[in-house]
Amino acid sequence: MKKFIAMALFSAMCVTSLAGCGSSNGSGGSSAEGGTQAAAESDWEDVSAKGEMTIGMTLFAPMNYYDENNNFVGFDTELAQAVGEKLGIDINFVEINWDSKEIELNSKNIDCIWNGMCSTAERQETMTLSAPYLYNTQAMVMKADREDEIMSSVDGLTVTAEKGSTGEGKLQGTIADDDTVEVSAMEYFANSNYVASDSMAKALMEVKAGTADVALVDSVAAYGMVGPDTDYSDMVINVDNNFGLQEYVIGFRKGSDLEQHVSDAIDELYADGTVAQLAEKYNLSDLLIENDAQAATEAPEAATGDTAAEAATAAAE
Amino acid sequence: MLGANPIESLTSGFLLNLELFAVTLLLALPLGLIITFCSMSRFKPLKWITKVFIWVIRGTPLMLQLFVVLYAPGLLFGIPMSSRFTAAVIAFVINYAAYFSEIYRGGIESISVGQYEAGKVLGMTRSQIFFKVVLLQVVKRIVPPMSNEIITLTKDTALARVIGIGEIIMSAERFTKMGLIWPLFSTALYFLVFVGVLSLLFGWVEKKMDYFRV
Repeated sequence: MKKFIAMALFSAMCVTSLAGCGSSNGSGGSSAEGGTQAAAESDWEDVSAKGEMTIGMTLFAPMNYYDENNNFVGFDTELAQAVGEKLGIDINFVEINWDSKEIELNSKNIDCIWNGMCSTAERQETMTLSAPYLYNTQAMVMKADREDEIMSSVDGLTVTAEKGSTGEGKLQGTIADDDTVEVSAMEYFANSNYVASDSMAKALMEVKAGTADVALVDSVAAYGMVGPDTDYSDMVINVDNNFGLQEYVIGFRKGSDLEQHVSDAIDELYADGTVAQLAEKYNLSDLLIENDAQAATEAPEAATGDTAAEAATAAAE
Repeated sequence: MLGANPIESLTSGFLLNLELFAVTLLLALPLGLIITFCSMSRFKPLKWITKVFIWVIRGTPLMLQLFVVLYAPGLLFGIPMSSRFTAAVIAFVINYAAYFSEIYRGGIESISVGQYEAGKVLGMTRSQIFFKVVLLQVVKRIVPPMSNEIITLTKDTALARVIGIGEIIMSAERFTKMGLIWPLFSTALYFLVFVGVLSLLFGWVEKKMDYFRV
């Protein structure tokens, strides 16, 4: 009996020593980082001290993806790397679960979200956002052989969009229509059934599998997914209806001073033509949003939406 | 997170699943036994703390536990978890150790009092009785439920993708984003082959244990 108790105690000791081990690691970490934290509530000081900025992203063309030679490329990839060079820091890309991006940011696992993220009213509340750098619009994706039927009327059909995406917000009216909108998605799909998908890729799979008739997804992402060499070669992207323009931005922790440093570097990259070159390289020139400084001197034609939407369509084709 | 070639990418993703599987087993098997001793302890507070721990771990989704391990350090203390893989290992080990401990307890409690009495008559100490008489019989009895749990673990490793571990399903989903669907469904083959090997292994272990007649 005594032996058994002794053994139980021993095992309890093992558990507590394991736990102790964990907590001593933790406190070691906190004492090391606690100092810098107390000294600096500044993200920029943290990042420059580490010499590294961690960017949370998901892989999708043309923003962040691997090319045929397995090189990590993309518009956002190269722009971020150019910013890193300007700031003299390394850029560390981390693939995240898109649903958890806010929590990734707030838990400091990443320093910013830079992955073709649309600016929304909600995100303006919860994050500090950079100036917009690319336009995006909502595209309808459907089977090619049903395009005529679906474009004539979507009444009674099933439409899908990624949960939490701009497409879903537009369909459900949680993202208010702004002055770039010509066709209100909510009214257009008023008599359709809505079903949420896990991701934009899954939304297209719904259409492919016939469980949904049409998907409403980011046009930039759609062009990265649908094409002649893919399993979606029997599907088409239709942007005839202008459901409004969205702007891609970079998201930082609320109140982070990192945004200013990154934005300054991007301003420099606009000025020396790097941004334009990258947009050209990834065939995104028509969607590029001009830098504030430049835009101020020129007529704000993009703001009317018409031209940019047409440009978006043109770029797509 | 490699790969323009789907097969290469899936294979390197599955290696991560296997790594997580192996590390989890290696740590959860002994930790489970420790938890069993605590939950069977005659020292009541320890016993009840352990019961509550098992209740919490078995009573909450593994997905939530993964989130807690990865994000809680950063959210509560401002010290982000340094490695996602470590976070996944911690969550899996704690979760599986809790399940294993209950299987062990069931096995230990199924051994008849007669076995202990026989050991006592032969003048063995309590720990001698446990390790030399009881334990091997327990091992034989728990092989089938443990096989179940270990096979479940194989497939549960795919859940690590929710905290950004680039395992096989996540690798496959990268291809669905590029318009290729088949990689997602081919991941089944990897799991089937591996679980097939495991099943053969468990069958062999059960056969080996046949010489016990209890």
